[in-house]
Amino acid sequence: MSRIDDERYSFLAFARNHVFVTLFGIVAPVLLFACFIGYPIVYTIYLSFFEWNGMAPTKTFVGLANYSYMFGDKYFYISLENNLKWLVVSLAFPVVLGFLIAYAMRVRAVYFPTLLRTAIFFPVTMSLVAVGLMFLLILNPIFGAFDTVLRALGLGFLVSEWFGDYRIAIYTLAFVGGWAFTGLPMIFYFAGIGDVPKETFDAARIEGAGHLRMMLRVALPQLRSVTAVVVMLTLFESLKAFDLIAVMTKGAPFGRTNVLGYLVYLESFWNSRFGYGATVSVAILVLSIAIATLMLGTVFRGAFDV
Amino acid sequence: MSSVALLTERRTFKRLRFAAPRLFATLLAFILAAIWLGPLALMVMTSIKPNKEFLNGPFALPIAPTFEPYQKVWEGLNFGVLMQNSVLYATTGSALAVLLALVPAFALSRFEIPGKKYVFALLLTGLILPQQTVLIPLYAVLRSLHLLDTRIGLIIVHGVYGMPAQILILRGFMTTIPREIEKAAQIEGATDFQIFTKIILPLSVPGIVVGYTLNFIAIWKEFVFALVFLNSENILPVTVGMLKLNSDRYITAFNLPAAGLVISQIPIVILFILTYRGISSGNFVGSVKG
Repeated sequence: MSRIDDERYSFLAFARNHVFVTLFGIVAPVLLFACFIGYPIVYTIYLSFFEWNGMAPTKTFVGLANYSYMFGDKYFYISLENNLKWLVVSLAFPVVLGFLIAYAMRVRAVYFPTLLRTAIFFPVTMSLVAVGLMFLLILNPIFGAFDTVLRALGLGFLVSEWFGDYRIAIYTLAFVGGWAFTGLPMIFYFAGIGDVPKETFDAARIEGAGHLRMMLRVALPQLRSVTAVVVMLTLFESLKAFDLIAVMTKGAPFGRTNVLGYLVYLESFWNSRFGYGATVSVAILVLSIAIATLMLGTVFRGAFDV
Repeated sequence: MSSVALLTERRTFKRLRFAAPRLFATLLAFILAAIWLGPLALMVMTSIKPNKEFLNGPFALPIAPTFEPYQKVWEGLNFGVLMQNSVLYATTGSALAVLLALVPAFALSRFEIPGKKYVFALLLTGLILPQQTVLIPLYAVLRSLHLLDTRIGLIIVHGVYGMPAQILILRGFMTTIPREIEKAAQIEGATDFQIFTKIILPLSVPGIVVGYTLNFIAIWKEFVFALVFLNSENILPVTVGMLKLNSDRYITAFNLPAAGLVISQIPIVILFILTYRGISSGNFVGSVKG
């Protein structure tokens, strides 16, 4: 196997010299990708121009009707807004908290870092169905533990209908999601801060920098690529939120906790409007790509250049 | 006051000054740990409480602990079957994902392949794609292959969708294997295939274990694909089967859902304990980044 570093080499020439690697290492995965990931994406876009009940052998071409319907659909806007709220909560709560905890553990600001790390990471391994069921019990208005704690702390006035009140419900869901998600940013930052040379922190320490300055001026600038990965992960996680809604509220009250991912499922598999479901799918796809490109072009410009 | 006393006093003061912020931080850390561990502990406690004790409030310790809820929920939901199915999907799906990923990871870690960039771009697309975008076409594809509502259909989907992450993890791992050994083998006239099977594969076992474990957990947690592609009761995984616990019949008795979700988490707890060092230290993160 000759490693070609400086010579420019055509793919065919490479393939001739490395038949095994080309076939099983490149061609096979790309083919699989094309069948199971590429083709479905293209098909979704295609389907968004049709009306189809999922069963009938024929699909009716409707042009842009699905799109114009979508832009007039109240539930689409509610869902879109909810996804954005979810994203904001996820960036503000799990990501920031995950960073703070990782930093505290790395500078040994806490006494039992392993306990904390294990506690926070554990929910990452739980299915969101289990997490959802758990918080349905904990936030239950009659027997729930959360309201009991609030009352015991003298914060009884905060007790609300966590799922019944349409103004709060989506935030309840997003915070439950954040609870389950915090371990992931924490682990990424924990590993990331571990890669920063220790001398950098020591030097800042000697210069008399406090923890706030250390975090903002020393740690974060060094962790740009980690932050970029974490934020991207959070973005895609927020845009595909589904499980918690399916378990906890099913969009209730009055469709106020619908998110785009759940809307796709409802419209396609419950209302048998596969064409419109595909249209909303395309909206999710466009949104993911648009926000990702925007962030990579501005805040995270060059963060992935190695 | 003698100077010695003053000195010791100063020393304690100094020690306190350094300990205080750390104590405060630790206190905060304990509160955080309580927020993260509390719900789990509460569920375990709730799951062994008899129904009539619920009037004592959510934090009342069980007076007459019982395993009846476990028995009830195990039989009522047919948990035995659900667990078997989930174990089957997680073991075979991850195995398929790793198998599909091995040679591509080898190729991407060892060769300067023309157009490598584009392969990476494809992989990342597969990694970040929201499942909902491909739900409908995959449903149609599986139906036309007569794989809808079958175990094998779901396993294939899990395998293919696990592949991109596995390629990245394994590639990261294989990149760290020193090249000297294979250089020597190459001089002896070994082919790519021999180098892969005789050198890279045996040395990649730790990476394979980490990748497999992560994929196992991911499939155990997975919900959307199973919900949409499966229908028959006897092939549902735990995540979908557990939805029943959310019906009014069960939610009136807290101990049943609590017992159910404790059961659903047991295999992962075991896995978590076995592989804790490899996973929560975040070593895998490095392989994803590069």
